[in-house]
Amino acid sequence: MNARRSAWWVAGALVVTGLACVAVRLHAQQRAKLARGDTLWRVTYKVEFNANRAGAGLRVTVPRETPHTRIVRRDVQYAGLAAQRVRASRELSREIALVAPTGGRHTMTARFDLHFTPQGRAAFSESAAKLTAEMRAQYLRGADTIPTNAPLVLETLAGLQPADPTNLVHRIFDFCDRNLRSDDEDFPDDVPTVLRQRKASSLGCARAFVTLCRAAGVPARLVTGFTIEPAEDAELQYWAEAHHGGRWVPFDPVNGSEGVVPADLVPVTRDQSEIVRGTDIAALKTSLEVVRRPPGPGALRFGRSQIGVIFDLTRLPLDMHEMLAVILLLPLGGLVTALFRTVIGLRTFGTFTPTLLALSFVYADWKTGLLTFAVVLALGLTTRAVLDQLKLLVVPRLSALLTLVVLCIMLLVSVLDYFNLTPSTQAVILPMVILTMTIERFYLTSEEDSPGIALQQLAATVLVGACCYGVLRWQTVGQLVFTFPELHFFTIAGLVLLGRYSGYRLTELWRFRDLGNR
Amino acid sequence: VKLPFLLPRELRALGVLGMNRRNAEFILPGNPRSHYPRVDDKLRTKQFCQQHGIPVPQTYAVIERPGDLRHFSKLVADYPEFVIKPCQGAEGRGIIVVTAHDSRRFTTAGGATLELADLRYHLESMLAGLYSLGGQPDRILVEQRLIRHPIFEPIAVGGTPDIRVLLYRNVPVMAMVRLPTHASRGRANLHQGGVAAGIDLHSGKTLGGVCRGRVVTVHPDTHAPVAGVVVPHWPELLVAAAKLARVLELAYLGVDFVLDADRGPVVLEANARPGLAIQLANRAGLLSRLQNVAGPDELIEGAPPGG
Repeated sequence: MNARRSAWWVAGALVVTGLACVAVRLHAQQRAKLARGDTLWRVTYKVEFNANRAGAGLRVTVPRETPHTRIVRRDVQYAGLAAQRVRASRELSREIALVAPTGGRHTMTARFDLHFTPQGRAAFSESAAKLTAEMRAQYLRGADTIPTNAPLVLETLAGLQPADPTNLVHRIFDFCDRNLRSDDEDFPDDVPTVLRQRKASSLGCARAFVTLCRAAGVPARLVTGFTIEPAEDAELQYWAEAHHGGRWVPFDPVNGSEGVVPADLVPVTRDQSEIVRGTDIAALKTSLEVVRRPPGPGALRFGRSQIGVIFDLTRLPLDMHEMLAVILLLPLGGLVTALFRTVIGLRTFGTFTPTLLALSFVYADWKTGLLTFAVVLALGLTTRAVLDQLKLLVVPRLSALLTLVVLCIMLLVSVLDYFNLTPSTQAVILPMVILTMTIERFYLTSEEDSPGIALQQLAATVLVGACCYGVLRWQTVGQLVFTFPELHFFTIAGLVLLGRYSGYRLTELWRFRDLGNR
Repeated sequence: VKLPFLLPRELRALGVLGMNRRNAEFILPGNPRSHYPRVDDKLRTKQFCQQHGIPVPQTYAVIERPGDLRHFSKLVADYPEFVIKPCQGAEGRGIIVVTAHDSRRFTTAGGATLELADLRYHLESMLAGLYSLGGQPDRILVEQRLIRHPIFEPIAVGGTPDIRVLLYRNVPVMAMVRLPTHASRGRANLHQGGVAAGIDLHSGKTLGGVCRGRVVTVHPDTHAPVAGVVVPHWPELLVAAAKLARVLELAYLGVDFVLDADRGPVVLEANARPGLAIQLANRAGLLSRLQNVAGPDELIEGAPPGG
């Protein structure tokens, strides 16, 4: 057969193209690495804690990107804990929020691969620091660790001639830099003590600067981070930022640098001193390991603008990575669906319904998702039977069903939240149009063929969905495809071959079983 | 040890055509997409038949818009019994057979009584595309109700059997008759428990049957043997099928007939994606027969010799 032979040729060509693309890019990466002074580092957070009760929460702050460092990969492992999606304050810190489903000892590990470029990236820009009135108030507010009204603070400030606003920030910086001894980490953190004893830990020194700035009416905030250098348990570094001249300017009173911070300093969180915190937890142990890594895939050059970087998705902002990695797994979901259809011969409700359901389950825990699916399906079918009595036209009826599904899901979100049953409302936000069509198809199939066949197709839908879910959750492959999207040439090759598969479907071996009894 | 299923090589030895192969080697190359509307719309198939003198049920009315439904009672007033079907329906979905009515209450073949309002709702859904392929707006065909041929009396319950002839390149290769049962509620739908019996192409005599995927020898309701019934007008029916296949220009085609007591074989519809259950009904694979049509110069892989 001619078409069959060409299918093999096309599939072969696709595989070769895919391999060639990967090879070219790997080669370019390796060469780019060697040509420059860039280095790759792996930062590992190891966190251990005791949860005092079920539902205790842990928040881990992710390193931020700077003109010199870029996160090329992240890998968070938290067996036994449930992930919670939080609306991260992009400006302050990006957090991974976890919930312990049971009390007792838990651990989590988060690895971040950082690409460090001493020269810096021209293209990097921190989001414009427009200071809203609300933010301004926030960064002028006093706190337990920033006692803006403490007598000693006001007294110190008075000595700095605050009446003259020009260069006030510089005078505060000079004061902290010159008068506070900060060469010993056992020195105090507490601002009044620091000002009294004139010696401070690096945290104390940075806090004193922030407190004085805020007391003087200059918005300021603490920055916590670490230095890129090999360490088994890296010490946290503290510095500050003051809003000055329309932008946030870094001040490091500990090391005496103003306006710039060293290239190898990586900020993690702002306005707080811990990078890992928790609620209802005890015995929190955190270590921050920094090791240098050999160059490898994922470490791409950046800086020089080059058209080739278009193909490098890892250069996109980190918060897009996770979503893009899942989307890039969707074709594999399609491949699974095609396998089930043509090789096994299972019929599902709608070709991509299982894949899309699986996609929504990825963002949730599957138990709650499945429960929601069952509840909405049962309610929807009951309503569909009632709607049938009303003799409605097709489109209004489907829309009515959609409305019901939407209401049902919203109510479930609220109910689960009320009983505090799920860590995340995301768990029940299933694709509503898909659900509506599934209800309609289930109803029609059970009416026209038989409830048995409808149940069979539903079971097949759930089974294929479960397999797609497994594929979509496959983070190793997700990362790989994210780094090398051209690997999907293989997927297309597989689909082309599958499209020419003319052998028996597995279910046909059963379907035609009686033919053998002649 | 007897396995509850067959191995692929056993199926191959029997010359069974599988779904993938049917699609890849027969439907995709043989049935051009542009000719599908000729069979997906019953009205168009009917026009083709009428142009070429192939008998079809008499058309009473075609309903195209919901507005036409206001005069529905008037449309059917002259006809004591009739059949309503969506033009683009598949697998007999949405079809209503009215056996008696007084323009307000309609009695269906299944024995149920429908009020005019209920019937109009059903028709409106049909127009909106509830039963059409892809949910497109549809038209409705109101046509003559065919009378079941007495020969099928013992083996058809509650409905009219239909005869499917499968053709490849205009040559009939296999045939079966689908017999309604109580379980299939008078419809010749195999999913719902109808019986399919193969038909010997030469003699037109029925062979054993299959019900819900299992081999049966007697009708599940009447317990009359399904085999050995000689279908009347058989050569006429095959000629009509071949003629229709030629004008529709579809290489792999199923043509459905009803044997009317008065008019003989009448074409109901044609299908460009005929199913594979016909092999079970005939207890024979299709591949060798397809090979015979294709000819020795165009070898169909895996087809057993002879057939």
